[in-house]
Amino acid sequence: MEERRGAVRLDAAALAVLAAAAPAAACELPGAARVLESPRAALAYRTIPQPVAVGEHFVVELAVCPKAEGAAAAPAEPRISANAHMPEHKHGMNYRPALRLVSPGRYRSEGWLFHMPGRWEFVFEVGAERLADSVRIE
Amino acid sequence: MRRLLACALAWLAAQAAAGQLLEFTPEERRAIQRHGPWPAPWSPDPSNRVSGSTRAVELGESLFFEPRLAPSGKVLCATCHVPYRGWQDGRTRALGLVEVDRNTPSVLNVRYQRWFGWDGAGDSLWAQSIRPILDAREMGGGAAQAAALVRGDRELACRYARAFGAPPPAADEAVLVGIGKALAAFQETLVTGGTPFDDFRDALAKGDAAVAARYPPAAQRGLRIFIGKGACSVCHFGPLFSNGEFHDTGVPFFLAGGGADHGRHGGIRRLLASPYNLLGPHNDQRSRAAAVKTRHVALEHRNFGEFKAPGLRNVAQTAPYMHNGSVATLADVVRHYSELDIDRLHADGESLLKPLRLAAGEAADLVAFLESLTESASALPARRAPEACAP
Repeated sequence: MEERRGAVRLDAAALAVLAAAAPAAACELPGAARVLESPRAALAYRTIPQPVAVGEHFVVELAVCPKAEGAAAAPAEPRISANAHMPEHKHGMNYRPALRLVSPGRYRSEGWLFHMPGRWEFVFEVGAERLADSVRIE
Repeated sequence: MRRLLACALAWLAAQAAAGQLLEFTPEERRAIQRHGPWPAPWSPDPSNRVSGSTRAVELGESLFFEPRLAPSGKVLCATCHVPYRGWQDGRTRALGLVEVDRNTPSVLNVRYQRWFGWDGAGDSLWAQSIRPILDAREMGGGAAQAAALVRGDRELACRYARAFGAPPPAADEAVLVGIGKALAAFQETLVTGGTPFDDFRDALAKGDAAVAARYPPAAQRGLRIFIGKGACSVCHFGPLFSNGEFHDTGVPFFLAGGGADHGRHGGIRRLLASPYNLLGPHNDQRSRAAAVKTRHVALEHRNFGEFKAPGLRNVAQTAPYMHNGSVATLADVVRHYSELDIDRLHADGESLLKPLRLAAGEAADLVAFLESLTESASALPARRAPEACAP
């Protein structure tokens, strides 16, 4: 269990790699990805499969790209996390997804399952930046 | 004029015979469609190499009705999962060697579930099938005793060899796991038949208003509550009418003899400690893809007192209700949600449930809808004595 919890967060070294290798302009994923932006970071994500079905496990692929002007001011120990919750219901998933670095700036997160229909909010944290995206699951 | 009047009367008679069809909105129609088709698609369990095998089904059926699996010879799977009682027992709490703390769930449609048991301590049907054999309160058996039975009984040994392609192995635990997998293969065949609701849902999909209108108006009104103001379908989701997950619904979880039933919290702890979970050596799937749920399940404080949302097909035949059998009738279940005491809910739990405050007519409609989830005819073949096994 501890290993699983730890796997969701990446350490500072990993983010430093992506900051050097993945400029914001390259923050893209193949297929129909959603792109989120904050002052310091851009993030593209997509689910596999698309669309997500209630009660079916799915995978999230991420491209994370700190922006050049923000990278210099990045916190000393930045981290990346990915999760989701239902704001109206005030609960999250019953599963804890794991996130792993696939290549510089690219991540794969497994263990996702939305167990109810309705509005879910993906929440990604890149260092101190919080990027969120709402989706409605039928 | 007389001809016109006759036509009008004939049209009215046809309408009366056909019943009425409520004007469901497009959103309601989409919600209704999500509860089908039935039977839902299914594929064999990849963690069980004999899932879907006819030979394994035959062995599993023999074992399901085999009293010698319990050392006492007095308790069998069918003691609690009684075929003519909807594959449950009609009791408040199950009675094995002694009375246990929970109500017996039906094993009909069990093949569609993600987690097994009220607390989801089983992540496969075969692991769940092993549990009562070993539980001292239920069958009180063990691996050595169960393996000796299968090895020593000519008929069972023959069926085992036919199902698994080899005689029962020397290791007791391996035979016990084989027993669980054969029991699972048999239970996977237990699927309910089509219901009046399915006829209605399919007719709506085809745009056949005449057939759809045969669905009783009370059931239609109850369905509208179920998918609408009742928000029942949020948890009782999909063709099975269950999202397969765990919820605190305000049912007391204190035990009669003292203590508390920890529900899902205890279930996850038992799951992760079990040698039979999908992360262990008995999972037949080399990739371990089916274990994703077990690898990622989250243990949270809010899991205390959570129990699985049961499927609702044939629910009218499986009283009493809730994890502890504490609610006697469907009308009482509806009353529970109508008059829900939110003070009983976890403070850190989901904020989905609220008292529905249904009028008497609405409550009756909701019951009528739930009753319409009863199969019109069993989809199961008549049971017959198995032919002797020839090695």
